[in-house]
Amino acid sequence: MYGGGYLFEKTSPDLLKEEDQEKLAAFEARIDRGEKIEPHDWMPKLYRQQLIRMIEQHAHSEIIGALPEGTWITRAPGFKRKLGLMAKVQDEVGHAQLLYSAAETLGKSREQMIDDLINGRSKYSNIFNYPAYTWADSCFISWLVDAGAIVNQVANSKGSYGPYCRALERICIEESFHLKFGHHCVTYLATGTPRQRQMMQEALNRWWYPMLMFFGPPDKISAHTEILMRWKVKILSNDETRQQWLDMYVPKIWELGLTIPDDKLRKNEETGKWEFTQPDWEEFKQVINGNGPCNKERLAVRRMAEKRGEWVRRAILVKASNKKYVTPLA
Amino acid sequence: MDKILDPRLQRLTLINEPLPAKPELDQLPTFEVFVKSRAARPWRHEGSLHASTLEMAFVFAKEQYSRRGTCLGIWVIATHDLFVTDYADNQTDIYDQFTEAPGCSGEAWEVFHMYKRGTQHTHAGQVSAPTPQAALACARNALERPRPVLNAWVGAAGKFRKSTPEEEAMWQTTPEKLFREAIDYKTNEKIKAFKATQS
Ligand SMILES: [Fe+2]
Ligand SMILES: [Fe+2]
Repeated sequence: MYGGGYLFEKTSPDLLKEEDQEKLAAFEARIDRGEKIEPHDWMPKLYRQQLIRMIEQHAHSEIIGALPEGTWITRAPGFKRKLGLMAKVQDEVGHAQLLYSAAETLGKSREQMIDDLINGRSKYSNIFNYPAYTWADSCFISWLVDAGAIVNQVANSKGSYGPYCRALERICIEESFHLKFGHHCVTYLATGTPRQRQMMQEALNRWWYPMLMFFGPPDKISAHTEILMRWKVKILSNDETRQQWLDMYVPKIWELGLTIPDDKLRKNEETGKWEFTQPDWEEFKQVINGNGPCNKERLAVRRMAEKRGEWVRRAILVKASNKKYVTPLA
Repeated sequence: MDKILDPRLQRLTLINEPLPAKPELDQLPTFEVFVKSRAARPWRHEGSLHASTLEMAFVFAKEQYSRRGTCLGIWVIATHDLFVTDYADNQTDIYDQFTEAPGCSGEAWEVFHMYKRGTQHTHAGQVSAPTPQAALACARNALERPRPVLNAWVGAAGKFRKSTPEEEAMWQTTPEKLFREAIDYKTNEKIKAFKATQS
């Protein structure tokens, strides 16, 4: 799961002036031909730096994203739900490892990335800074947050960097299970007893606006990403992914007799676009800068894991000490 | 801040003191993992992982790269034990760089090919040679390649941790673990029945 690629810095063509223009032209021609870039190929600094940032944030989002659902494993209703949720959470942590490896091929070590995460120097998907109050919140995440992640990930898997694309292909296969599992959980609540139904509706009400924010600020106020689009680092704009998600999932939510907490939500048949009340983008800014309801807790849990695992890491490093670290291959 | 009703506990206060800085950002070594998913398919590179030893890497590889579907075996090797060629440009064969074959005898080497950017390396075969470069020169004639090879990896056969035939048993029940599969979560009937009650 993941929210993706909206935390770019402004990029301007000026940054490319220092690059070897001949190599740059060959690099761009390769991307234009639809070929992938592999780790040992020449690439502009900006490409490397923005890819590391994006893949690293994606990896962190998998780790942090596993926390709200992870806390529900022991309380999931019934053995079958526990098994399913456990498998899903294991997948998410596995996704993080795949992504850390892909980022490592670009030259940033996994330890450095984890260090940046727990010390608050890295970002991750904003939505995981909101609490999962009930089992129904966990179901919302499994189905609809993962659905949003899939929209992003399917798009990004058509990007230009080979190792990232390969990781995403593996990830997307597993996401299809997450999506079905989540839909199954939500369906059983929404079509269950009146209390179950109410619980699901309340969770939906809580998550609706964070979900809209998941895709990032509207294109007209986002940082310019033309170069990143040209280099196929970013594939779809924030508005495009949001529209895709609305198009695919609003009908499925309505089908379950649930209501969406926005009177203005409707598909404009002329433009083919969804119209909706904008979420509070000031809140988005606040949460992403560390002031959301769970930011501190999420990082505290990671710090706890880091601290409790310290002796294990030290112990196994002794065995590994005769091996030299080299970046993974692909 | 909202009270978190995550069922375990409010975990914010678990670690109050700041963590001491890590002495050095020491990394565990990385390993490369190859999987054979079906009899008719070649061994294929699936990805990398971190571990302290080859044996631990093998255990992690099973967890990370063979959770679903069928698996007939796993090979793991330390990244630094693989010899990696340059990436050739399209239509150029990387084997053009390895033309001088000294004697093709000595240590056994596993050779992997990448034919197209964006795809995974697959196992091309085994050759005997004194060095990895020599192994490639020998592989040039000895191993089949349907088209020009863009990039090749070579590792001494003895440096791999390869699953044994007896170990295949650990994948026997994987296809039965339907709780990991999308197919096990059908909702159509439930939704149809629900809609019927609504109209
Ligand atoms: Fe994921
Ligand atoms: Fe997921």
